[in-house]
Amino acid sequence: MTELERLTARLTAALPPDAVITDPVRLRTYECDGLTVHRATPGVVVLPETAEQVAAVVRLCGDHGVPFVARGSGTGLSGGALPRTDGVLIVTSRMRRIIEIDIPNRRAVVEPGVTNLAITEAVRDRGYYYAPDPSSQQVCSIGGNVAENSGGAHCLKYGFTVNHVLAAEIVTPDGEIVELSAHDPGYDLLGAFIGSEGTLGIATKITVRLSRAPEAVTTLLAAFTGIEAGGQAVSAIIAAGVVPAAIEMMDALAIEAAEAAVHCRYPAGAGAVLIVELDGPRAEVEHEFAAVERICRDSGAFEIRVAASAEERAAIWKGRKSAFAAVGRISPAYIVQDGVVPRTALPRVLAGIDRLQEEYGIRVANVFHAGDGNLHPLVLFDDAVPGEAERAEDVSGRILDLCIEHGGSITGEHGVGVDKARYMPRMFTGDDLDTMQLVRCAFDPRGLANPGKVFPTPRLCGEVPGVRKGAHPLVEAGIAEQF
Amino acid sequence: MHNQDMPDGWDALKGTGVAVRTAGDGDEVAGVRPRWVALPESAGEIAAVMRACAAHDLAAVPTGGGTKLHWGAPPTRCDVLVDLCCMNRVIEHAAGDLVVRAQAGVTVEALAGVLAAEGQELALDVPVPGTTVGGLLATGIAGPRRFRRGTARDLLIGVTVVLADGTIAKSGGKVVKNVAGYDLGKLLTGSYGTLGIIADATFRLHPLPAARVWVTTTVARPVTETERAPAVAGFLPATVAPVTESPLEPSAVEIDWPDVDGPCTLAVLVEGAAAAERAKTLRELTGEAAEVTEEPPPWWNRLPDDDALLELRACPAALARVLPALREAAHASGARPAIRGSLAAGTLHIGLRGRPGQIADFVGLARDHAEGTYDGRVIVLAAPEETARRAGIWGRVGALPLMRRVKERFDPDHRLSPGRLAGGV
Amino acid sequence: MDPELIKDCVHCGFCLPTCPTYVLWGEEMDSPRGRIHLMGQHVEGTPLTGVMAGHFDACLGCMACVTACPSGVRYDRLIEQTRAVVEREHVRPPDEVAIRALVFALFPYRRRLRAMRLPMRLARRLRAFLERVHPSLGAMAELAPDAPRPVRLPPLVRARRRRRARVGLLTGCVQGEFFPQVNAATARVLALEGCDVVIPPRQGCCGALSLHSGREDEAKRFARRTIETFERAGVDAVVVNAAGCGSSMKDYAEVLAGEPGWAARARALPTRDLAEFLTELGPVAERHPLPVTVAYHDACHLAHAQGVRAQPRALLRAIPGLELREIEESAICCGSAGTYNIFQPEAARELGDRKAERVLATGARLLVSANPGCTMQIAAAVRRAGKGELRIAHTAEVLDASLRGLDPGMLGWSPR
Repeated sequence: MTELERLTARLTAALPPDAVITDPVRLRTYECDGLTVHRATPGVVVLPETAEQVAAVVRLCGDHGVPFVARGSGTGLSGGALPRTDGVLIVTSRMRRIIEIDIPNRRAVVEPGVTNLAITEAVRDRGYYYAPDPSSQQVCSIGGNVAENSGGAHCLKYGFTVNHVLAAEIVTPDGEIVELSAHDPGYDLLGAFIGSEGTLGIATKITVRLSRAPEAVTTLLAAFTGIEAGGQAVSAIIAAGVVPAAIEMMDALAIEAAEAAVHCRYPAGAGAVLIVELDGPRAEVEHEFAAVERICRDSGAFEIRVAASAEERAAIWKGRKSAFAAVGRISPAYIVQDGVVPRTALPRVLAGIDRLQEEYGIRVANVFHAGDGNLHPLVLFDDAVPGEAERAEDVSGRILDLCIEHGGSITGEHGVGVDKARYMPRMFTGDDLDTMQLVRCAFDPRGLANPGKVFPTPRLCGEVPGVRKGAHPLVEAGIAEQF
Repeated sequence: MHNQDMPDGWDALKGTGVAVRTAGDGDEVAGVRPRWVALPESAGEIAAVMRACAAHDLAAVPTGGGTKLHWGAPPTRCDVLVDLCCMNRVIEHAAGDLVVRAQAGVTVEALAGVLAAEGQELALDVPVPGTTVGGLLATGIAGPRRFRRGTARDLLIGVTVVLADGTIAKSGGKVVKNVAGYDLGKLLTGSYGTLGIIADATFRLHPLPAARVWVTTTVARPVTETERAPAVAGFLPATVAPVTESPLEPSAVEIDWPDVDGPCTLAVLVEGAAAAERAKTLRELTGEAAEVTEEPPPWWNRLPDDDALLELRACPAALARVLPALREAAHASGARPAIRGSLAAGTLHIGLRGRPGQIADFVGLARDHAEGTYDGRVIVLAAPEETARRAGIWGRVGALPLMRRVKERFDPDHRLSPGRLAGGV
Repeated sequence: MDPELIKDCVHCGFCLPTCPTYVLWGEEMDSPRGRIHLMGQHVEGTPLTGVMAGHFDACLGCMACVTACPSGVRYDRLIEQTRAVVEREHVRPPDEVAIRALVFALFPYRRRLRAMRLPMRLARRLRAFLERVHPSLGAMAELAPDAPRPVRLPPLVRARRRRRARVGLLTGCVQGEFFPQVNAATARVLALEGCDVVIPPRQGCCGALSLHSGREDEAKRFARRTIETFERAGVDAVVVNAAGCGSSMKDYAEVLAGEPGWAARARALPTRDLAEFLTELGPVAERHPLPVTVAYHDACHLAHAQGVRAQPRALLRAIPGLELREIEESAICCGSAGTYNIFQPEAARELGDRKAERVLATGARLLVSANPGCTMQIAAAVRRAGKGELRIAHTAEVLDASLRGLDPGMLGWSPR
């Protein structure tokens, strides 16, 4: 009997009858999240319904020294919820109660499996909404949002998950249920937990801030002949002191894909389209809109469309929101990249991407949150052509190098997960990573919570607490590497 | 005690090449006088100081403007005050990217001057003049606009920190959107110098608003006689709610209640090109008597300055219960509170006049009520030693065991601001 | 299970929240994404296990996932192909075989259904006993509505004003036997709007139930026969008032793809849902006021399979005095799904209760549904809930009442 089998027997005893999955065919359906290039069949899957059950599972994992991975809706794009074949996958999809809606305090308390959009839907008719809006908001879970510190198109103005979570009940990697609250004095543990990609524990109850729905929303679509003119418009809008709710840009190839998929009917001949959304008090929006429209014209927009109603707005957003999936219509396979550069470096980085396309003979479609410099290059390839997948992978990696070179980041919202752990040393020094590791060791000294994610090599927390007091025995033995 | 039996500490500090001097009267940390003051000029120099401290087991406390050194618990030991006043450079202001990176010793006023030249600002109000970037983060203090913009942690995008062993580490970066790695900046926010010494920080910026307008009104009877009474028209909660619930996006909703037996002033800040127009609508919500001005009321963004200073954290809707309870606590204890802040954002600051015992009684009553009835907190920011000892400084800290574990990892020998935080952290 | 269709799925998960079984159980393998993964496993060589078949059987075929999919995955085709594979390769336990045989020997045949009406009424009283014998029998007994007075429709109903079109009417097996008044209302509405309505008396089943249960050959046989029948009628359009029938008739060309001649004939047959047809035709008859609050239920085979959502709502809103209310979670299936409520009674019951709760929450007096399966399913759930006064009617009946200026109190039937 393996350790995992012994653990499974105890899990079965501790959880409701249908909450433990061991059938191999069923297990395999959990082998990947939204990033399918990494796959691993979990050792066992559990579907707990309460925080106590999650804590019990985590404690049992500790008893048996078995790693565990948390998963919400499985929509992540960095393999953050990639299971361990030797571990337990804890799926929160049955923890989806909205526990409390508290309008006077502008907050809601939800379980981690509740979808992002479900919160907004629950409070919309009272004039409120939950601000972070990742593209997958209709399916992604709040627990996953907390793990990834999800953003969305509107985070330029409204910030990320970390700016909208007021408290979280978490199960620590040693199986304790702890409340992290913005009210507590001392270290902002809540802030550190959000975005830790499941390596510091599992959120089991989340208190989110509800925002007042804006009085007015105006969405504008501007078509340019080329991406440079669009970029110039973005800079000018920011320089004018306008902070739009969102500024999104798509290049010609991305427009072509969206057109093929959803017939979004963007202006013909556009080399780039810019979507600018303004929201807030009506008087401010009118004021800003006049400025944005003028700037777009001055920057060479040859067509501007304005949506006033929800339907017209949806029509403008349709092409943008479908862009990722739509690329499947013009290419057999593709990699979605997620890098960030300072906004002013955008033209240089885009030129760099152009050079890469030529060098490798690989096409790249560009979709990006232009306002905050978050690029989503879609690297297109045909997996049937030998070597093309590898070349695409190279291009994808070199785009990240470009981002780092220009003072940016390897991920703006998709997370590091398993996919980008190897790029972390390009962005951070050994000391930086070591220091982050101290946080990990404080929460999870045994390294059982989502091991192998975020950090490039297995990290060791040492038997005695301390900052690098001599080499760890495993490092000396050459078994593990320490940064 | 560490004293003359360890003279080599001084030599070691001098040996780092960093400017050092003997501590004087003005260098006390919450009543504890350090022996020496080091004045590093770079992250590297901080690291050198910390390595010297590590080698000779010296405890260090960082300071910036020194404006809040008397806040928090006194350190259990303090050999070296690491004064960051020389690290006062704005390293990079990338105006086109709306980002600034500044050394920890830059004061928020100096920073604001640099940013304003480009029509930008760090959209925080810091209610203590002379506060530095490092002090802002270490204490997590914030002023009125926290209602709309949050606190420093919400605008911080990158940080460089020097650990107790001299390791220089950074997290985040200079882009607004970034989820690579743990966010050490968050951890350092509110850390009171117990995890590491912040060397520099990077913030996201906002354009300076085209106009700012305040709508100010006086509420004669802020609260009903007991906390059980409903929010009646004319009372404060009934005035605040329509403002915060309106889609007019006020940037701040503040109250100033200098005497719990007197009237209370409510001031609402509106920012933007159409601020005047929005203020007019707001005035309809707050009542005809409200004044619309382009200057803030004199108390705006200032902490009440008295014998003691408390911070009360609560949910916005607790307003109706918090204010009567504070008045009752005042009457029962004999301490006289002056209350200021934004319950709409969940934070009030309370200045207290009275004898240490009276203040301690007030803290006890207010804290019991806060923790017991609406999951609030009452934290003593500054108080006479006797008050702090009797009433305790921090009150309930839910995740204290986790905080201890973090401290153990970052500073296992307790050489950085030891004991400044709750639970001996 | 076409590997190329399987490859189209990029595993984004957008289908998850729209899938009724995922909503119920929160399990990956009972979501469209998970089922496509299972299909992939089978295509790669994993044998079709009982566990796998169970997850395919649990799919309602509501097609909400097809609507939600941003990559255009043809889950509808995939699940039909898969059901056929399950029927071929999977050996079902004897009791399951027996129940399926009973259903498929009964529902697609109007005369057999008619013969069953009396015994079914009796069965309702015997429900507790039948439930013990087999849950599926219990479910059938619970669903069966009271046998209505038979309505005999003439082979041709003439237009009541200047003729604008000549249409055929599919009467449907279940619709025809359990809800004949719906067909009568449909014919009247069409005639009042200026249509000659041809109602071929010898029309059979359209094949929907067989198609959605993987019984391919049977489905093809029914399809060919239906095509022939309406070709002979010589109509501008075949109007269908049962969502499930309409959606399968619109799929005839794909069902008969292997028979080029038939596929072409299928494509030439213009099938329209009633609401769709009336909207395209435009109103001419006067709408009399009908002061009633209505909750409109999106039948999956109308909303998801045919994309008909706006038309029925527009028709209802155009009736003076009628107040239309939206049902929360309208995109989630009620659990009827053809034969699903008979083969998967427990899941269907949970979904039915969920739907009834949301329908009752609208506070509407009348529920409008354009599919007989949904009507029976929701009626049974409302009956179980035992609260709230609610009557149920078809879109055609509501229009009929307005066109003829009837009293709204008489509209529809009560599940009590």
